[in-house]
Amino acid sequence: MICPNCGSNMPDKRKRCERCGTDLTLYKKVQRASNLYYNDGLARAKVRDLSGAVIALRKSLDLNKLNTSARNLLGLVYYEMGETVAALSEWVISKHFQPQNNDADEYINKVQSNLTRLDALNQAIKRYNTALGLAKQSSADLAMIQLKKVVTLNTNFIRAYQLLALLLMKTGDNARAKKYLQKVSKIDVTNTTTLRYLQELEAPAANAKDLDSNPEAEQSGPIGAIMPISSYKEDKPNIMAFVNLVIGVVIGLAVMAFLVIPTIKNNKSSDNSTDYQNSGYIAQLQDKDNTITTLQNEKADLQKQLTDLQTQIDNTAVPEDKTQVYVPLFDATEQYFTELSKSAGTRDFTAVADLLAGVDDTQLEIESAVTLLNRLRTEIYPDVAKAHYTKGHNLYSSAKYQEGLVELQKAMTFDPADVDAVYFAARSYQRIGDNVNAALYYNKVITDFPDSSRVLDATNFLAEVQG
Amino acid sequence: MINFDEEIEKFQPSLEIEQAEDVINNNDLTDVTDILKELLKGNKENKQ
Repeated sequence: MICPNCGSNMPDKRKRCERCGTDLTLYKKVQRASNLYYNDGLARAKVRDLSGAVIALRKSLDLNKLNTSARNLLGLVYYEMGETVAALSEWVISKHFQPQNNDADEYINKVQSNLTRLDALNQAIKRYNTALGLAKQSSADLAMIQLKKVVTLNTNFIRAYQLLALLLMKTGDNARAKKYLQKVSKIDVTNTTTLRYLQELEAPAANAKDLDSNPEAEQSGPIGAIMPISSYKEDKPNIMAFVNLVIGVVIGLAVMAFLVIPTIKNNKSSDNSTDYQNSGYIAQLQDKDNTITTLQNEKADLQKQLTDLQTQIDNTAVPEDKTQVYVPLFDATEQYFTELSKSAGTRDFTAVADLLAGVDDTQLEIESAVTLLNRLRTEIYPDVAKAHYTKGHNLYSSAKYQEGLVELQKAMTFDPADVDAVYFAARSYQRIGDNVNAALYYNKVITDFPDSSRVLDATNFLAEVQG
Repeated sequence: MINFDEEIEKFQPSLEIEQAEDVINNNDLTDVTDILKELLKGNKENKQ
């Protein structure tokens, strides 16, 4: 035992401190009483008489604040009742008085190690305080919402359950109030507040029992609805079977009226609607046929228009490129100047004459071009015609009548007034036996050149070929 | 019959965890042993 006066340790049997001489008899009695209360509290806690355990353990600590076991147990009981702060406080104080070998260490660590749980417990406390404020301001509905959340967060919070039950009782929801109170009873079996509320809830039943013993009260109170036990009577015929039959028939008719008949009607209407749809389709088909016919007609018309337009296009003479008609003239001019650049003896204007012969002077629209053409022809044609005549006559003399005819034709082309060329062309035809062409050219000599010395011969030869 | 308003007034706010330190510091831990000690101390002084 430790002397409370000087703190020295001594055997338990000593009644006086050997060091300071303090009488320890009363101290021992107080400690024994504290231990008794602790044992009582422990016994109550084991049977979940938490309220009783709290009272016993409080007394134990009032006698001896150093009773660490009692304080730790009190903390556990508080924790079980949902009083987290009170539990932690007891364990911290216990740790203060006994820093070593104290179970409070384990309890504190277990609570503090789970921060989520600790936060939930703190939230529950805050919500409980809010709900209490709302309840005191007669906002029972809001308070109950908060309290329901509280008992979810801390399922052992007895005060929250009790307040919730009280508010439910106030709103008339006794069944749920009783449910919550019974839950509290499982946590703390002898909580006087819980028992008082439960008693209040069970009061009507107790009143009913009282009323049973007083027959006069039956007629005036709500319990009057209870039927007294009557004497035996013959059972009435069971009409329930008949009622059930009638109900079955009614249900059957209702099914017919609301399910079968509308279905039949729907089928009929669907058939009608099918016909109607078919007629609609036929009408659509006719419309489409008409449309196709119209489109075909339009297509035929358009085809005809296309053909006409194509014909017009084909018939329309595309104007030639006007510049093309000048090309032979330019070529001839260029060739002419090329020949002029040569020496006089080597010049040959036959190619120039051929180019000029190819120029269609009717297509020339520029006056200067026409002038140029005429000038070139005037300059070149006589000499070229003379050259072709000479060549043609030489070929004629050499009895090469065919080749000579080619040259003589050219000579006639470039100089139509050369009667000799016409005469020898006639002679060449006569020589090769072409009397028709020979007569044609003899006539030409006679007709076109009546004053020529060739007329007499031509007349004679004409007689020959025509003879 | 319970008077609900009176019953609600009996309920006290619960201490929050942040207030635990104050609760511990302000806790009156005087027990019977302390009282005895004071009494015995007073007796001794009176005798002297």
